[in-house]
Amino acid sequence: MSSVTILLFWPFIGAVAAFILGKANKKMAFWAAEIVGIALFAASLMLWINYTVPISIDYTWFTFGETALPFGIYIDGLSIVMLLIATGLGLLDIHFAHDYMGEDNDQARYYAKVLFFIGGMILLVIAKDMIGMFVGWEFMGLASYLLISFWHTKSAPANAGMQAFLYTRFGDVFIFAAIGLLLYFVGTLDLVEINTMAKEGSIDHSVALVIALFIFVGAIGKSGQFPLYPWLMNAMEGPTTVSALIHGATMVNSGIYIVARLFDFYASTEALLVVANVAALSAFIGATSALVQREIKKVLAYSTMSHLSLAFVGLGVGSLAAGMTHLMNHAVFKALLFLAAGAVIFAAHHTKDLWRFGGLGKKLTLIAAVMAIGGLSLSGIPPFSGFFSKDAVLASAMVNPDTQGLVSVLATIAGLLSIAYIGRVWLLLFTGKPRDEALYESVKKPSFLWITLPLVIMALITLGLGLYQSEAAEFITGEPYVQPHVDGLLIGLFIGLGLLALIVFGLYYKGLKLTEKISNHPFLKIFHQLLFNGYYVEYMITWFSKNIIVASVAKAATWIDLHIIDAIVNGSVGLTQALFKRLKVTQTGLIGDYAGMMVAGLAALTILMILMEGA
Amino acid sequence: MFYLTLIFGPLFLAVVVYALFRNFEGVVKYIALALFAKMLAASIELYNALPAEGYLKLGSFLHVEAFNYVLTLQVDMLSVVMLILSSLLLILVTLSSWTMKNQAAYFSLLIMFSGAIFGVFMSTNLIWFFIFWELTLVPMFFLVGIWGAEQRVYAAVKFFLYTHVASMLILLAFYLLYAQTGFLDVTLIKEAAIATPALVWWLLFLGFAVKLPIFPFHTWLPDAHVQAPAPISVLLAGVLLKMGAYGMIRFVIELMPESSREYAIYMLILGLITAFFAGFLAIYQTHIKKMVAYSSISHMGLVMIAIATVSYEGLSAALYEMIGHAFIISPLFLIAGYLHHKTGSWQMGDMGGIVQRAPYVSAIFVLAGMAALGLPGTMGFIGEITILISAIKVNGAWIAVIALASLISAGYLIWTFRRVIYGEMSPVVASADFKMHKIEFSALVLFAGLIVLFGLYPQPIFDAANQAFAHFGGVQ
Repeated sequence: MSSVTILLFWPFIGAVAAFILGKANKKMAFWAAEIVGIALFAASLMLWINYTVPISIDYTWFTFGETALPFGIYIDGLSIVMLLIATGLGLLDIHFAHDYMGEDNDQARYYAKVLFFIGGMILLVIAKDMIGMFVGWEFMGLASYLLISFWHTKSAPANAGMQAFLYTRFGDVFIFAAIGLLLYFVGTLDLVEINTMAKEGSIDHSVALVIALFIFVGAIGKSGQFPLYPWLMNAMEGPTTVSALIHGATMVNSGIYIVARLFDFYASTEALLVVANVAALSAFIGATSALVQREIKKVLAYSTMSHLSLAFVGLGVGSLAAGMTHLMNHAVFKALLFLAAGAVIFAAHHTKDLWRFGGLGKKLTLIAAVMAIGGLSLSGIPPFSGFFSKDAVLASAMVNPDTQGLVSVLATIAGLLSIAYIGRVWLLLFTGKPRDEALYESVKKPSFLWITLPLVIMALITLGLGLYQSEAAEFITGEPYVQPHVDGLLIGLFIGLGLLALIVFGLYYKGLKLTEKISNHPFLKIFHQLLFNGYYVEYMITWFSKNIIVASVAKAATWIDLHIIDAIVNGSVGLTQALFKRLKVTQTGLIGDYAGMMVAGLAALTILMILMEGA
Repeated sequence: MFYLTLIFGPLFLAVVVYALFRNFEGVVKYIALALFAKMLAASIELYNALPAEGYLKLGSFLHVEAFNYVLTLQVDMLSVVMLILSSLLLILVTLSSWTMKNQAAYFSLLIMFSGAIFGVFMSTNLIWFFIFWELTLVPMFFLVGIWGAEQRVYAAVKFFLYTHVASMLILLAFYLLYAQTGFLDVTLIKEAAIATPALVWWLLFLGFAVKLPIFPFHTWLPDAHVQAPAPISVLLAGVLLKMGAYGMIRFVIELMPESSREYAIYMLILGLITAFFAGFLAIYQTHIKKMVAYSSISHMGLVMIAIATVSYEGLSAALYEMIGHAFIISPLFLIAGYLHHKTGSWQMGDMGGIVQRAPYVSAIFVLAGMAALGLPGTMGFIGEITILISAIKVNGAWIAVIALASLISAGYLIWTFRRVIYGEMSPVVASADFKMHKIEFSALVLFAGLIVLFGLYPQPIFDAANQAFAHFGGVQ
C-alpha cells in the first residue's frame, strides 16, 4: 500500500473503526486512533525520505455537461512539511489525549472526530486542485465544529462551536465562489497550473486580484485574521487537546497554506500587499490582547492569532520561505505550549484561571522546563527555532519598500510583545507563592509516559529545528535560501526588551493588587477592557448579526411574507367567495336558464377561439 | 400493456386494498411496500432499456380518434430518473410511516398517489399528463387533511386550491398548444410552430412555478408541509415539488428553448429572490418544521437558477439538485416531525440537548443539515457547486453571489442545531420518551446513506443527466 493511499483513506476508515470499537470498549477507541496516527506519521516520513520530485496524480471526480471537476493529488516539499506537522503533532496529540481525555465517557466520538479532522487536513495539503483543497478545508470546518462543541451539554462549548462554524463559513463561501470564478475565467482549478499561468501573466490582472482576495477572505476566516478572529478565542471551550491540534498546530495553518500554495498567483497582483497589511494589524491585535487575558488558553489563542499573522506577514512581504518556516516553527512550539498548558490544567483539575495558580514550578518541574523552551521559542530568543523565522519575517518586511512602514512597525511590536505575554503566563503559573492553596495542594503529578513524554519530544524538536531553518526553507520552496537578518541591534533589543518585560511583569503580577488597580483606574480601565475583549470585534459582529440580519432583514422578510404575499393570496380567496355569493343569483335551478347560459358561454368561447386564430 | 398497469394498476389497487383489508390494517403496508418495490424494479428496467438518445416508446393506449386523443406512454432519461426517484421515495415514505394511524386508508391513498405520479412522468400526451397531474392532488389532499396536524384542513384546502388554480394556467396553455399546433403530444408539438409563444410560455412558467414553488407563489408550501404528517411532507418535498421542476424542464425548456432563453432573466431573478428570501424566512423561524420548509423553498430557488441557464450543464445541475434536495430535505422533515411527536412542541425554544436523548437521530439530523448547507462529501455540495459553475458560465461573474445563499443556510441550520440538538437539556426533552421504531429509523439511515453515497460518487446521476438532456434541441 502506498503512502498516499494510507494518508488519503486511513484517517476516515480509522474514524469509523475508532467509533465502532470505542462503543464496544472505551480504551479501544484510543488504540485505534494511536495505531492510525502512527501509520499516518510513518507514511509521511516515508514520503519525506523518498522525496525527489513532486508526486502528481490526476483524477477526475465527475463530469457534468462538458465540465470536468478534477480531484488530483500533488505532493511537493511544501505538502510534505505540512503533512509532517499534521500527522506528527496529530500523533503526539492523540497520545496526550490518552490521559487527558481518559475520564471522558464519550471517547469513541472523540477519537473518531480527531481522525476525521486529521484526514481533512491531509486532504487539504495533498490536493492538487482547488476543489480537493476545498473538500479538506470544509471537512476540517465540520470536524472543528464538532470538536469545539465536544462537551455540548454545556451552553458555552455549544455556542463556541456554532460561532467557529459560522465565522469560518463566512470565509468559506468566498472560496466557494472563487472556485466558480477560477473555472470560468482561468479555466483550471489546478493549483500548480494557476501559479504557472500567473507567472506567465496569462491571467487577467483584475480577475486574478478579485479571486486572490476572495480566497484570502476564506483564509482570514480559517486562520483567525482580523476581523474574523473571535471564534479562535471562544474555541478554547473545547478540550485542550483539541485546541492544541486544531487551533494551535494544524487547522489554523490552512489559510496560510493556501496562500503559500498559490504564492506566485498572489505575487502577481497587489493581493499580497493586502495580505501583509491585514496580517500586520492582526498580529498587533493578537499580541496586545494576549497581554491582559486571565485564562491561560486565551493567552495562547491570542498568541496563535498573532504568530499566524506574522507568518502571513512573511508571505505578504514576499518571502515564502520566511513565512513558511515561521509557520512550521510556530506549529511545533504552539502545540508544545498548548499541551503543556493542558498538562497544567489537567494536573489542576481543569482550572484555567491564571490567577489561581502560582508556584507550580516545584511540583511540575519538567513541565515548567518544556514550557520555558516553548515560551522562549515563541518570544524569539536565540537559539530557539522561533528566533530565526521571526527574524527572517521582520527582516523581509523591512526590506520590502511597500511594507517598510506600518507593516514592519506593527509586526515588530507584535514580535516584541510575545515575550511579555508568554513570560507573564509562565511566571504566573510556575513562580511565586501559590495563590490558591487548596488548588496547589491538590495538584497531582501527571504520568510521564502519557503526558510529559509528548511534551519533551516537542521541546526537543523546538530546540533542534533552529539548526535546520535554511534546509527546511529550501525543501519547502525548492529554491536556494539565504536567511535575511535584521542587524544585531534588533537581537539586542529583543533580549533587552524581553528581560525588561519579564521583570516588569514579574513585579506586576506577583502582586495582583496592581492589576486590580489598573483595571479599576477610570482611564486605564478603558484600555484594559478594550484589550481584554479583543477590541470588541466580537461584539460588533454579534450585534450586526443579531440586530441587522435577524431582527431587521429576516424579520422584515417574514413580515412581508405574512402580511403582503400571503395576505394577497388569502384575500383573493375571500374575494372569490364574495363573488360567488353574488353569482348565487344565477343558480336558479331552471333548466332553461342553464341552457341559455351554456349557449352564451359556448358563443363566448367560439369568439375567443376565432380571435386567437386570428392572432 | 405492462406499463399501463403501472399507472392504472395502483389506482384500482388502492380501492381494492382498502375494501378488502380495511379490517386487517397491518397487511396494507406490506402490500404497498411490495408494490413500490415492483415499481422501482420496473423503473430500473426502463433505465437499462433506454436507447442512448431520445424516447423509448412504451405503447399507445385508449385511442379516441376524433380528438387525436391517445394515451401515449413514452419515457426518456429525464422521466426514468423521476420514476426511480419517486418509487424510491415511496418506499422510504412507507418505511417512515410504519407506525402511522389508520393504515388501510393511509396506504391506499399512497398507492393511489403512486399510480398518478407514474402517469405524470410516463405520459407525453398533454391531456393525460394533465389528468394525472391533477389526480396527484386528490390523495395528497386527503393525506394532509386527515393525518395532518392541528390546522390540517386549512392547509389542505389552501394547498389544493392554490395548486389547482395554477393547474388552470397550465390547462389553458395546453389548450393553446393544441389549438395552435393541432398536436397533443409533446414530442410532436416540439417540431411544430407555436403561434403565441410568449403567452404560452408565461402560462406554463407560472403554472409550474407555483408547484416548484417560486416566490411569490410559495406561501402554500409552509402551511401544507408543516401541517402534513412528516412522511407526507417528504412526499410533498421529494415528489410533488419535483413535478413542478419536471414540468418546468419538460414543457417550458424542452418545448420552448428560444422563449426560455428570452425570458431567462425573469426565471433567474425569481430564483434568486426565492433562494434568499426563503433563506431569511428560515432564519427568523422558531418553528422547527417551518424552518425546514423554508429551507426547502430556498433550495428550490437554486433549482430555478439552474434551470434558468437553459444549458446542458445547468439542467444537469438542476436535475442533480432536485434529487439531492429530495434526499436531504426528507430526513430533516422526518426528524422535525419526530421531535414534535415526542416533545409535543414545534418550538425550538422548548427543545435543546436532544442529542443526549436521541444521539443517532441527532447525528442524522446534523448530517442532513450539513448537506443542506452544502458541505463537501454530501449531495448538497455537488448540487451547489455545479449550479454555481453553470450559472457563472451563462450569466457571468456576478451570479457568484449565490454562494452567499449557502452562508444563509449555514446561519439557520447551525443555529437550529444549537437550539435543538446541542446545549443543556430542556425540561421538555428530559421528560419525553424518544423511542423510534426500528423500521422508521432505517429509513433515516437510508436517506443518510444516499446523501453521502451520491455526494462522494455523483457520476451516475450526471451520466443520466447527460443522456436526459442530449436530445433537447435548442439547449446549449
